[in-house]
Amino acid sequence: MVAMERLLNVSELEPCEPLERTLEAARALPGGDYLRVIHRREPHLLYPLLEQAGLRWRTRRGGRAGYEILIWRHQDETAAEQVRAYLDAC
Amino acid sequence: MLNTAGLSLEQAPPISIPFRFFLLAPLFGIAAGALLLAVGEEALISRWSPVTLALTHLLTLGLLGLVMCGAMLQILPVIAGSPVPRVVLVGTLSHLLLVGGILVLQGGFFGLGAGLMELAIALLGSGFLVFVSGVSVALWRVRTPSPTIVGMRLAVAALVVTVVLGTLLAGGYAGLFRIAGLAGLTDTHLAWGLAGWIGLLLMSVSFQVVPMFQVTPEYPVWFRRRVPGALFVGLLLWLWLRYATLQLGWSPLWETLWSASIGALFALYAGITLRLQQRRKRRVVDVTLLFWRLAMVCLLLLSGALVAVMVWPDLGSNTRFPLFLGIVLLLGVALPAVNSMLYKIVPFLSWFHLQKRQLTLMCMSVPVPHMRQFVSDTAARRQYHAAWLALLSALLALIWPSLFARAAGGLFALSNLLLLGNLLRAMALYRSTAVALSRCGDDPNSH
Repeated sequence: MVAMERLLNVSELEPCEPLERTLEAARALPGGDYLRVIHRREPHLLYPLLEQAGLRWRTRRGGRAGYEILIWRHQDETAAEQVRAYLDAC
Repeated sequence: MLNTAGLSLEQAPPISIPFRFFLLAPLFGIAAGALLLAVGEEALISRWSPVTLALTHLLTLGLLGLVMCGAMLQILPVIAGSPVPRVVLVGTLSHLLLVGGILVLQGGFFGLGAGLMELAIALLGSGFLVFVSGVSVALWRVRTPSPTIVGMRLAVAALVVTVVLGTLLAGGYAGLFRIAGLAGLTDTHLAWGLAGWIGLLLMSVSFQVVPMFQVTPEYPVWFRRRVPGALFVGLLLWLWLRYATLQLGWSPLWETLWSASIGALFALYAGITLRLQQRRKRRVVDVTLLFWRLAMVCLLLLSGALVAVMVWPDLGSNTRFPLFLGIVLLLGVALPAVNSMLYKIVPFLSWFHLQKRQLTLMCMSVPVPHMRQFVSDTAARRQYHAAWLALLSALLALIWPSLFARAAGGLFALSNLLLLGNLLRAMALYRSTAVALSRCGDDPNSH
């Protein structure tokens, strides 16, 4: 199965819409897919919510707005592999 | 960037802690408006009348003080990564003591009974002692303080000066001891309370919240690093100049010049904030931005007035001038800024705590409302219109007191009634969703 990237740009939204939209999109992730969130700040408050929702993430400084957060489901090896490949390519 | 390294959900205080401060604060605003509505122009004759003193403290301690204390207990873990130790105890105790103290102080101003002023001193003094102790531990634990944390530390130091001076003044008012130079001491109490505690806290918190909430560029680094400290030192020097003017016979020009310099720094802050807001990425004008703009325009007006009094010294001796400064500062600057923050903080806290509860219970069948659903934009705008009409009426009442004083009181009470209604509706939505989540958590079939 090939993992698909889902892109969400929240860099121009006012708080706390980025948090709200990211969590909604992350919870709707189908197995095998990962979410790439474009953000202008590091969303520290998002992490404990992701953890409680059974999601995993990696944050990368850079990209067009300042930060990229890559989110996938716990134990979803296909998505995790694709995230690793994406980060290695950056 | 939010410095929330090590932040866990458990570090945030229970929602009941900030909410008990936020929900009682508008009641003091309603009381202040009702008082002005009842007594009318008498409240605007002199800054020394019991009615004016009662009104001022309902606004500064009751409305502003409670919101600022509640917000500080809540936001320290978020912006400093440093929670207030024993926050439930600190929040509960300081809230009870402060609210009791504010109520008793009102009785003391109106001479409703012997010993009320002494009791108010004890209650307010211990309330602030509990609050300052808890907050200071949290602030001083931060190892690499950002300009916001440095500004908050200075604001808390200014609060201590304000409370000590206020205690001295209240003791003098109660006849516990004689105070020489009552006017000078009162001005110092006011300056440290308004420019120090309120001004420095507003400025340092805005370094975080304006870029974050309004999607603007950051404040210039030099401004964030230098200006809060410069203002604090400026206030200390002003204290010395005030002493030199009153006791050593120095020309009052130095003190006036220095006050204008402090005003100029606040004007610079207002100008930078308005400029940043002009450059914001999202062009939607919501009610929190309107409140914030009103606050900054009034801050420019206030700074202009401090410069004007330097050019026309006669203006300063007009008995209405201090009232003008007080109205613009409280109703124009501090309250709109605090109001704006409330409309951001309350929906966010409600949403965040419900989200946390939903994830803990793993109960996805009960939807958590969106943040915009907690306070409707229409209802918030209605309150904004009442608030600025109250400000306008209060300013007009300085020229035509018999025509506008009661109108200002009525509009101010209305504005706070609407604010209370908006906060209560947010709270009701929070409670009903929390109850639905708990029921769902108890029912194993609904997960």
